[in-house]
Amino acid sequence: MARQEVVALILAGGQGSRLGALTKHLAKPAVPFGSRYRIIDFPLSNCTNSGIETVGVLTQYQPLALNTYIGNGHSWDLDRNNGGTYILPPYQSSGRSDWYKGTANAIYQNIEFIESYDPKYVLILSGDHIYKMNYAKMLRNHIKEEAEATIAVFEVPWEEASRFGLMNTDENGNVIEFEEKPKNPKSNLASMGVYVFNWEALRRMLSEDENNPESSHDFGKNIIPAMLAEGMKLSAYRFCGYWKDVGTIGSLWESNMDLLDTPEQINLMDRSWRIYSRNPIKPAHYISSGARVINSALTDGCNIYGTVEHSVLSNSVTVEKGAVVKDSVLMPGVTIRSGAYIDKCIIGFETIIGKNVKAGASVEGDCKYKNAKLCSDGITVFERGLCIREGAVIPGNCMVELKSGVESDEIIEYSFRVR
Amino acid sequence: MFINAMGLILADHKRITLGELSKPRALAAMPIGGRYRIIDFMLSNMVNSGISSVGVIALNKYKSLMDHLGTGSSWDLDRKKQGLSLLPPYINSVNVEKGGEIDDLTGLLNFFQSNTQKYVIIADSNVIFNSTFNEFITRHEESGADMSIMYNRDGIKYGSPSVMLDLDRRGYLRDMMVNPAKPSTTRCSLGVLVLDRELLIDLVSQSIARGEHDFSIEYLLKKYGQYKIKGYEFKGLTLRINSVSSYFSATMRLLEDSVRKDLFWSGLPVYTKVKDEAPALYDENNIVVNSVVSDGCKIMGEVSDSMLFRGVTISKYAKIKNCIIMQDVHISESVELENVIIDKNCVIRPGIKLLGQADYPVVIGKGAIV
Repeated sequence: MARQEVVALILAGGQGSRLGALTKHLAKPAVPFGSRYRIIDFPLSNCTNSGIETVGVLTQYQPLALNTYIGNGHSWDLDRNNGGTYILPPYQSSGRSDWYKGTANAIYQNIEFIESYDPKYVLILSGDHIYKMNYAKMLRNHIKEEAEATIAVFEVPWEEASRFGLMNTDENGNVIEFEEKPKNPKSNLASMGVYVFNWEALRRMLSEDENNPESSHDFGKNIIPAMLAEGMKLSAYRFCGYWKDVGTIGSLWESNMDLLDTPEQINLMDRSWRIYSRNPIKPAHYISSGARVINSALTDGCNIYGTVEHSVLSNSVTVEKGAVVKDSVLMPGVTIRSGAYIDKCIIGFETIIGKNVKAGASVEGDCKYKNAKLCSDGITVFERGLCIREGAVIPGNCMVELKSGVESDEIIEYSFRVR
Repeated sequence: MFINAMGLILADHKRITLGELSKPRALAAMPIGGRYRIIDFMLSNMVNSGISSVGVIALNKYKSLMDHLGTGSSWDLDRKKQGLSLLPPYINSVNVEKGGEIDDLTGLLNFFQSNTQKYVIIADSNVIFNSTFNEFITRHEESGADMSIMYNRDGIKYGSPSVMLDLDRRGYLRDMMVNPAKPSTTRCSLGVLVLDRELLIDLVSQSIARGEHDFSIEYLLKKYGQYKIKGYEFKGLTLRINSVSSYFSATMRLLEDSVRKDLFWSGLPVYTKVKDEAPALYDENNIVVNSVVSDGCKIMGEVSDSMLFRGVTISKYAKIKNCIIMQDVHISESVELENVIIDKNCVIRPGIKLLGQADYPVVIGKGAIV
């Protein structure tokens, strides 16, 4: 295979358990986002826009939806004769067969793939952030600084800093210490989970880390500190612009709302840095007479006869006459039947909300699906492929999902397979 | 699924022009329905029937068509074996000297010879429907006719060109009239014809030998004296684009739920080139009523009974009624438009008012700044 200067690897194997029912059937990077996209469209589009032509996507948890979505990479112009996209699941080999034990181990298990391109640099990305970034600029900075590794950092407000993995830097922008979620932060530069490594250095670190039984095989926890301990030069690359980790129900909802409230920040309409996605084969959307759509984002295949306010609708959503959808995120194929009232909900693929259902933050009442652990701020989540019984009342902070062995109950009329 | 046929789409129609709108493009490349070109429907019908070899002939102005079709990957026609073939007009110095008459028949002959399927489906580019051709071919095969032609009975109301088919009791063509003053039949050709590939090769070579340059469905139908041509009635929904006003009314019919259901939600997908536009954004003061809106639009004004293509901006205080606004048009503040068709990339300056009639819309050509 021809040599590639850079190989990008996207870590897309995590379950994203904090997204609850939304990631029951698919990995977090495959979760729909922002009406037209899946989360992984952002790193993939960033790669193709940055001129990176070889991208490995490391999958492990529920990979089917992600694998089919990425396909041969055609949608991102990553179907190449030399390079292109590769889905890299864990595999069996003589002498060992392991799941990916951590982010570093996942890369370690794919050393052979990386070596086949004989790259000088390796770009490590995570598949669960919403941002637009030119990796080529970061790489140029890495080369200029003559660093062994460069870590992209993002300035977060001081009061939130203790939620992140922080990079403490010296006056030259070199990393001197890494702290994972410290109580008393010394810096407000959060690691974005975007790393450039000199491949030679990284390969050695990965092998050493693999042989260390104490290690949890994680980039932030193990590889970066080990490199610092050896006195290698690690540079911090400041990123300015929109960046959001969408790992929780609250942040996923918020990030969707950001598209409506501050569209200029992520600026999806910027044609010089398009976010590509696999396009649904559906006609343009229709707004009927009597419908009202305000402050919202819509895409192909939607048919709106009711009221949609401050919401993000994915393709092929139907909102019937007299239904009201407010502050919500509706994933592909959702149907809201007439008279239903939906407030601050995230609704999974193809779920049907029955007539006169009341659900969401402003709805009073109690419900067995209350889930204070995953849901916050009154956001109610519906699993995909459910039909919600006519007239059901579901308050905020609920995670409506089918428990195994149950076919229906007082809220869920029936469920069906989503294809 | 395993259909033994290839397709040929005639991208231009000698009898149809859409005035200003057809200046930059072939008829087949005419934008319609917010995100499609007319050819998408016929091409999807062929692909959905299992056809894997489709030729497209354009007479001229084929740049926009080539941009749209590309390698054919949007229709899964980018194949090692066959796939999509764009057949540009066959030009040589000899026939250019003959007063610009373009001879596309030799290239066509090679194309038919290089394929192996038994049948060829030839289609014009002025009809829109969503169906497969499997039953059409089966019925043709069973009838033992030399050719079969699709027709329906609502063609006359779309105006010229209406190719009326007079069939005998057994359903064979016995007379054919174009735009007759007093039609003796309601059967109007849909411009979709099937015949044996070998027969087509014979007919094309004969016409080359006679020095003829014409190749059209009408030309083939005129052979009814020599060959048995059977009529096949298509009962599904069809829209015909014969003129600017029929283009306008076809678009307005796409605002009807039942029409969109038939054309887009029957289970047979209509493929088109993807554009990766961002989702459409609606602000807090917009009013949109009975309209189709595409990705990449920004809606801040009032829109009713209209078709908006991709990337259209409707600024504050603008009022759009009964309009077709094509890709990347910018409508500035306080613009008022009624019964207007605006071609791609136009800019309508603040405060401009344009008023057309429902049966005679105003047309603004591609790229104009008004």
